[in-house]
Amino acid sequence: MSTLDVGTYSPREKGVVGLLGALAALLLVAVLTGFLAPAYLLYLIGLSAMYMLLSMGLNVQWGYGGMINFSVAAFFGLGAYGTALLTASGSPISGGVSPVIALFGGLGLAAVLAVIIGYPTLKLRDDYLAIASLGLAEVVRIFILNESQWTAGSAGLTGIPLFFSDWPVLGDLTYPYVFNVGGTPVFNMSQSVVTSLLNVVLVTVIVAAVYLFLRRIHQSPWGRVLRTIRTDEDLAETLGKNTFAFKMQAFVIGSLIMALAGVFYSHLVLFVSPQDLQPITTFYVWVAVILGGTGSDRGAMLGGFTIVAIQQGTRFLTDTGALPIGAAPLRLMLVGLLIIFIVRLRPEGILPPERELIWPDSMGGGRDE
Amino acid sequence: MAQILQYLANGLVFSSIIILGSIGLSLVYSIADFANFAHGDTMTLGAYGAFVAFGVFGGLGGTVLGLPIGFFLSLAVGMALAAVVAVLTHILVYKPLDTDSIGLLITSIGVAFVYRAVLQATFGTDFLQYDISRSGPIPVLLDTLNVAVTQRDVAIIVSAAVLVAGLHLLLQRTTLGRKMRATADNPDLARVSGIRTDRVILVMWVVGSALAAAGGVFLALYSQLDPRIGFNILLVVFAAVILGGIGSVYGAMLGGLLIGMLHELTPLLSDVGLPVSNAYAPAVAFVIMVAVLLVRPRGIAGDMT
Repeated sequence: MSTLDVGTYSPREKGVVGLLGALAALLLVAVLTGFLAPAYLLYLIGLSAMYMLLSMGLNVQWGYGGMINFSVAAFFGLGAYGTALLTASGSPISGGVSPVIALFGGLGLAAVLAVIIGYPTLKLRDDYLAIASLGLAEVVRIFILNESQWTAGSAGLTGIPLFFSDWPVLGDLTYPYVFNVGGTPVFNMSQSVVTSLLNVVLVTVIVAAVYLFLRRIHQSPWGRVLRTIRTDEDLAETLGKNTFAFKMQAFVIGSLIMALAGVFYSHLVLFVSPQDLQPITTFYVWVAVILGGTGSDRGAMLGGFTIVAIQQGTRFLTDTGALPIGAAPLRLMLVGLLIIFIVRLRPEGILPPERELIWPDSMGGGRDE
Repeated sequence: MAQILQYLANGLVFSSIIILGSIGLSLVYSIADFANFAHGDTMTLGAYGAFVAFGVFGGLGGTVLGLPIGFFLSLAVGMALAAVVAVLTHILVYKPLDTDSIGLLITSIGVAFVYRAVLQATFGTDFLQYDISRSGPIPVLLDTLNVAVTQRDVAIIVSAAVLVAGLHLLLQRTTLGRKMRATADNPDLARVSGIRTDRVILVMWVVGSALAAAGGVFLALYSQLDPRIGFNILLVVFAAVILGGIGSVYGAMLGGLLIGMLHELTPLLSDVGLPVSNAYAPAVAFVIMVAVLLVRPRGIAGDMT
């Protein structure tokens, strides 16, 4: 049995699964004992899933295609602003559009920006691409910060509705929501728990769909060409592939997934501001991807989870007052040290792609492509 | 006309700061071969180092260029601190790494965060200022040219010029400078020619970080001090380095001068009818950077070392 055999797990993978299981059990105990509010736990799950989306989006660009995109925050922000500007009551433009339609507003903006940023930068050398994309992302942030007649500027956008607010049944629930079985009340839930639950359902569907979609395209001939480009762009060129077109496609797909994360974020937190477009957001997502394992979507998910653990965990740690350091510097310090140690000790990440790179046919007994 | 002169004067001050930042970034880029994202936070580190030192030396009497002598001592302390930290970082973090230039780039982001976290934890995020009273514009210049330039502005320009001239002499007139130029030009060839490139790289970190720190100190003197000043200006510095051409110290100086000027000349755009406010000055620099990368990836100065 080779270590790459489909269906078996390496000791490291088992370890990661065990650790996540233990953490989940701990959180469950915290909720049952009343230490953690259920709505907050659900919010954390939603946030983790959002970072998973961002990491998977970056993974398409950096993990599959080798493009160093430092403008993650800009695409995330355009998704968030796109939907917020169309739906929010506080929107300076119009507002009041149904979130299901506004979703496409966010995605459309991101797609346009992806082409605008991608076209000039994707031909650049690796490190130039990093600097140029970070610079262009800053242009987007400066624009949103200063064009307050369209974006509400530094004040940010408030009054964003919940994603399901105008849905027939889900939007009309009255609270506390009581679910009866034969006249006996079974559930009795507050608004915050119901809305958080709906958010989790929504994001789970999105993450699952994106994951399956990415697995499919990664194993397809398209994914194989992209991997060839990552390894040796000249070779791909020699084989007659239009490498620029492939990179552009990967760039747009990745950016759309990031924008999707932004759309979800808008309807989760119900507030967006230029603060969300700071370069730090981009670097968080980079940490998630290189920690999880570049090129691995399962790794990207693990990385997304870790980021939320750092963000929210530092708040708990410093709330106890036992540490001589504030939450913000502690978070920055942990992320910084994490970056340094991953590159030093485990540059391939915790869950590097193994089975992802093998398509089922070649293993025998797999389904047909 | 006086308006344009005023913009140019402001540009000269800002350029001095950008030039000091871009020299070090360019040196690291050419010798250590990676885009150092911790360079901006090295500038911040120097500025805080000088801030603490000024608390000690600030009382020293006498003034040079309208600034207390204690300020220049504190400047030296800030430069020394940044140099020591950069050398330690090189030895502890970068040198043991077995990775490519992208791995180094990502690591330098981690280093930047650690620097900033330490500063933020120690000093908080509030704005600070060197305790030096501000004087008004120099009367002569205001009367004759109608340009408002303070003594502080002049001090920044002159100090930067002295530091840059010192670097020029180091590079052109000393053996060490020749070794640095050789290593920047072709590290492998320099090594086989018997140059101890390890030592040259250490010197490069010392020189680059010390100049960055000076840039940070002047930036804090020009505006205010907070843990983000260096990172906020990093991309503008990158724009200058790329404009000048990676790996060319003199190109970096030229790029710094141009980007600094363009940054402060942004208001001219609205004077000619383009509605671009001052807030877009960095954005203008980034767009120029991308344009240069597209048209002339080696920068305007090419490979001139």
